[in-house]
Amino acid sequence: MNRRKFLTILGTAGVASAMSTARVAEAGGGVHMFPYWENSYGVLHDTTRCIGCRRCEEGCNKVNNLPKPKKPFADLTVCNTRRRTSAYEWTVVNKYSVDGKPVFRKLQCFHCNDPACAAACFAKCFSKNADGSVTYDGTQCVGCRYCMIACPFYMPGFQYDEAFDPLVQKCTFCAPRLKEGKLPGCVEACPMDALTFGRRSDLIKLARARIKDHPDKYLDYIYGEWDAGGTAWMVLGPKASTPPPAGSHGDGEMKALGLDTQIGNRPVAELTYGALGAVPMIVAFWPVLFGGAYAMTKRKEAIHKAEQEAVEKQAKDDVTTALDAAVRKIEETQGQPAADAARKAMTEALKSREALDSCHASSDHGEGK
Amino acid sequence: MKNGTTLLLLAALVLAGAACLTFWEGGSVTATAASLEATDSGAPSAMVIFPVGEKANPAGAGLKPVAFNHLVHEKRVEDCASCHHTGDTVSCTTCHTVSGSADGKFVTLAEAMHSPRIAKRPEGTNTPQSCVSCHAQRLRERDCAGCHAIVKPARDESWCVTCHNVDVTAEQRRQGSEGTLAPEENEALAAKAVEAKKTATPLSPAKGPLKVTIDAISQQYEPNVFAHRRHMSSLMEAIKDDKLAQAFHTRPETLCAACHHNSPMSSTPPACGNCHKPNIDPAHPERPHLKAAYHLQCMGCHAGMNVARPVNTSCVSCHKERAPQR
Repeated sequence: MNRRKFLTILGTAGVASAMSTARVAEAGGGVHMFPYWENSYGVLHDTTRCIGCRRCEEGCNKVNNLPKPKKPFADLTVCNTRRRTSAYEWTVVNKYSVDGKPVFRKLQCFHCNDPACAAACFAKCFSKNADGSVTYDGTQCVGCRYCMIACPFYMPGFQYDEAFDPLVQKCTFCAPRLKEGKLPGCVEACPMDALTFGRRSDLIKLARARIKDHPDKYLDYIYGEWDAGGTAWMVLGPKASTPPPAGSHGDGEMKALGLDTQIGNRPVAELTYGALGAVPMIVAFWPVLFGGAYAMTKRKEAIHKAEQEAVEKQAKDDVTTALDAAVRKIEETQGQPAADAARKAMTEALKSREALDSCHASSDHGEGK
Repeated sequence: MKNGTTLLLLAALVLAGAACLTFWEGGSVTATAASLEATDSGAPSAMVIFPVGEKANPAGAGLKPVAFNHLVHEKRVEDCASCHHTGDTVSCTTCHTVSGSADGKFVTLAEAMHSPRIAKRPEGTNTPQSCVSCHAQRLRERDCAGCHAIVKPARDESWCVTCHNVDVTAEQRRQGSEGTLAPEENEALAAKAVEAKKTATPLSPAKGPLKVTIDAISQQYEPNVFAHRRHMSSLMEAIKDDKLAQAFHTRPETLCAACHHNSPMSSTPPACGNCHKPNIDPAHPERPHLKAAYHLQCMGCHAGMNVARPVNTSCVSCHKERAPQR
């Protein structure tokens, strides 16, 4: 196979895979990249109820057997700093301010309907489950941390302190506890019912009812209903007394809680699903492609060699036959001794020519270099 | 004439008394309105607001008209323009008729009286108020906000008849709707309704328990001992002279219903745990579990009334730390 042919094949393969990803993106178009589970669960976080007691953090730490933090959970001053989740703190409560009053918000994995982390993972470590949880299985993890870059909420944490086999860690929605019929650790620990567990569809109705009953208390926006293509965990925010300028619906107030409404309502997964979803395909397909190309080249070489050998053999046979014929003629006309001498002379001449040929060949080769 | 002066004085007294009586009698004949305190603005102390409309209402169907106590409302607002938003002190029904008119920008009478929230008008323009929106604003003030932050008054029949309470004959209703009822008769009807309005005497705090021990779900902490009577007394003290509370708290148990909400009003309400289960009820995910129900009630009211202490996150302020269990 020559260079041109190889490039043609590679190009064709590239176009084919690009077309398949384009089709995925088209089919997405703000719908779902992952199966949407009608009866999946979620949690509604009502920030107007949250008092920042950190019981949820404590509950999470306990049920997931995470290492004890440096500062005890009773120390509420840590809420004042903008903390982020890490591999060992799967949820944190931060303090924000609306109208000069403190508002607390719990941060954890939002368990997106179409998780960007799962779409970005070419090792297929993440899965969106029927119960609504987005879980991680580290057995195939290569530690690339694409999931951490892809997550629009900066939630997954990495075990940077692990020298061997560091893993990505994040809130699991207490998936093992859900299977046992128990509530997530944080929800169970909340003394204010600021975290309400239920079917996602019910929670949206519940949130709407709360907004309707207390229009002056709640911001008319359920964060996570559509944001990032919809999330299992949703947030209700308090209404500020001074409304933001027209046209920035929900933006100002939600931003005050550190929630970005500019993520958009299309799944973030859409951006990476096509390109990185093709990686496993490439891993499977490329060995076949290159193996095939290699085999074809090898086969051609073998055929060529066999042909050459056949030609060479033919030529050799021809020379021997001609020599034999000439010797026989000499023997017939001039007798045995003359024939022997002629054979000897001719064989030597042939040998010297062959030597000359090979000498020429090697010198040709040298020139070719 | 040693006693002449005394006699003269006595005679004068009798005469004056007779004159007084005669005058009073005469007044009561023309208009009962004189029995109400006069307003500073010179407007009638109370008037009946009839559903004025372009279309005749021959059947006379509809809610009873409203007796508007101009006197008590006048004392509460800053100036006339607070309600008379155009600056012209005419009756509401001049522009806001039953089906709306061009003068009232087609805002109907019902909307003008009941709109719960009214969009703020641009700077320099007076934002109109409806009865309901103004009352709702009052409920956000400290004395009311505690209870009204956690309970929403039931919008049922008894809420309607708080205002729609004037008994009128079919003829009076027709005349009122047409605008042909004599002002004196209107004021007389209103005065009668205002005077007939009874204020409910709230249940005495002494009738309730002194303290309530909340121990249904105590685990980590000792049971909370809730000073029931002290809370009740302080709530009552704050609103004892409030006319709005008197008008709308129509039953002796109304105040109890702030905490003992959703169940029929009673002096012996059911326990919280009857509806609020220790763990969230899957059939009613909207219903807080018992622990949250207590916390939301207590903290919601304290937040509404700006009670700075105890701090929400200070558990031991309300629950004593329990000695380690063996």
